[in-house]
Amino acid sequence: MLETYSLFAGLGLYAAATLAALVNAARRRPGTGVVLLLVAAALSVHAVSIGLRWQRLDHGPYVDMFEVLSSNVWSLHAAVLAGVLLLPRLRALLPAVLPVLQILVAWLVTLEVRDTVFPVTYDTVWLPVHVLLGKAFLGITVLSVGGSVVILWRRCVAPAGFAALPSTKLLDEINFRLLLLAFVFECLMLLAGAVWAQDAWGRYWDWDPLETWSFLTWLALAGYLHLRVTVRPPPEASALAILAIFVIAFGTFFGMPFVSTAPHKGMI
Amino acid sequence: MGSAVPARPAMAAAPHRTAGRVLVAAASLWWTLVWMAAAGLILAAGLALDAPVGAWLALPCFGLCVNLAAALGVNERLRRQPGLLVFHVGLAVLALLAAAGRLTALNGTVEVTQGTPFEAGHVEGRAAPLHPWRLDRVGFVQGPFSIGYDPGMLRRHTRSTVHVPVADGGWESVEIGDDRPLKMFGYRFYTSPNKGYAVVLTHIAADGASRTGAVHLPSYPLNEHRQANRWPMPGGPVVDLWLHMPEPVLDENAAWSFRLPEEATLVVEAGGARHELKPGQEVPIGAARLRYDELRAWMGYTVFYDPTLPWLAAAALVASAGLGWHAVGKIRAVSGDGDA
Repeated sequence: MLETYSLFAGLGLYAAATLAALVNAARRRPGTGVVLLLVAAALSVHAVSIGLRWQRLDHGPYVDMFEVLSSNVWSLHAAVLAGVLLLPRLRALLPAVLPVLQILVAWLVTLEVRDTVFPVTYDTVWLPVHVLLGKAFLGITVLSVGGSVVILWRRCVAPAGFAALPSTKLLDEINFRLLLLAFVFECLMLLAGAVWAQDAWGRYWDWDPLETWSFLTWLALAGYLHLRVTVRPPPEASALAILAIFVIAFGTFFGMPFVSTAPHKGMI
Repeated sequence: MGSAVPARPAMAAAPHRTAGRVLVAAASLWWTLVWMAAAGLILAAGLALDAPVGAWLALPCFGLCVNLAAALGVNERLRRQPGLLVFHVGLAVLALLAAAGRLTALNGTVEVTQGTPFEAGHVEGRAAPLHPWRLDRVGFVQGPFSIGYDPGMLRRHTRSTVHVPVADGGWESVEIGDDRPLKMFGYRFYTSPNKGYAVVLTHIAADGASRTGAVHLPSYPLNEHRQANRWPMPGGPVVDLWLHMPEPVLDENAAWSFRLPEEATLVVEAGGARHELKPGQEVPIGAARLRYDELRAWMGYTVFYDPTLPWLAAAALVASAGLGWHAVGKIRAVSGDGDA
């Protein structure tokens, strides 16, 4: 019961933090302290729910869509919190990023909660390593998605919007550097996944649908980084490219593992 | 003499310039795209034709290696930034190793009857053109194995005991299974979900010469209701074999372990005649006799060979570390309030 209560309390606090961030932005108030506190509280309460489920089922949140989504809602909010604490100039990104994450929260609420069985092929230390690296990749990418939303907002809606954030040019540069860091985690995630696949299925890479889409994500990211260095597209074009990369990464994370019946699903 | 002196540097510079132009062309990002597209086409062709294309992938891998090496040669910005340099060198090495791996790899499967030695000739699979073929050096004897199932037919842990020869001439028992392969002479043997029953038969020819072997029935429980196989007898007809199990081995709604059936009858059909045999019984077929010795289990393995495996991991790790070094420096530069 506490598991369910803490889950919904955590989700409510995420929503409250988002509301507070949007109200701040609408009133042009720079203060983000309350928002950060609400996100931190939501993470703590949500962590209790994840921890209780982990203890009850004796495995981490890796198996079905509810577990994967719940842990990603937690990790993406944690990445945003860590990001704005480490890069204080990005604090005003919160009203751009948090609403994007609430789409995941809304999706999570609609999912059926069932007990899951931990597949034998998941019983390896490389699974948490692979998953943590993937969460770091997606978390950093979400920060740059927030930056891209701001760039496009300034271009299409209000040129003077998000005044507390750096200039569009600098934001574009920060986005590029964040994605460079995200790319490192993407590389390491693929490496850890390959080691796991070798142990679990006797091959490190077999172009199953999830592997293919992770490689396409890698390729899209590598292509963006090269184009950004060589062609230097305008910030708006970069922002659109980042959104496209996020869509591919999102589909890879939340679509392919549950659409495909390939070994990656881990149940054979 | 006097006129020849100024001409010499120009003559030497011409091939130098040509080599430079070739290097610049080879370093182009367009070539990166071309090689990646080639890899994509090869993979797509492999899927469409269901053909082994692993070795062909060596070509785009090698092309990408040349492309990256050329880029490192002509792009000073890459060389000036140590993190980026390490990343691209790591990627080039990775591409080269992947090419080498695709040319030497072996992927296969094999079934080994409990109590019998592994036979290299039974491996079914695909070997790359430069595979060194050392499978005949591999030797182990299949021991007992266990595979557990949770209710709902969820497969749990596989534990397979194999006996491997040791230096003093004896044998050592090793337990493998799940993510623990048997490694011998560069080959890795992973337990696969496939396992089943093996009918041990002795063929006794008209002259009294006998030969014993095992006929593997289809994987169990995947083919629970198709425990049958055909076997061409030496110099005789093809016989149909079917294992009749009156008591079910598995219970879909309870936890169970793979085991031999307690009561099983071997049904042999040859030339329109049907015979039911228990272990130790025999039946005349033509001029020969066929004896059903016993029922055993067979274990399925995935066989994998790629000597580049640890080097691939090391190259990928070094490349990632290089890029991480570069990225952290870039992030630090924008973490303060100043301009990047």
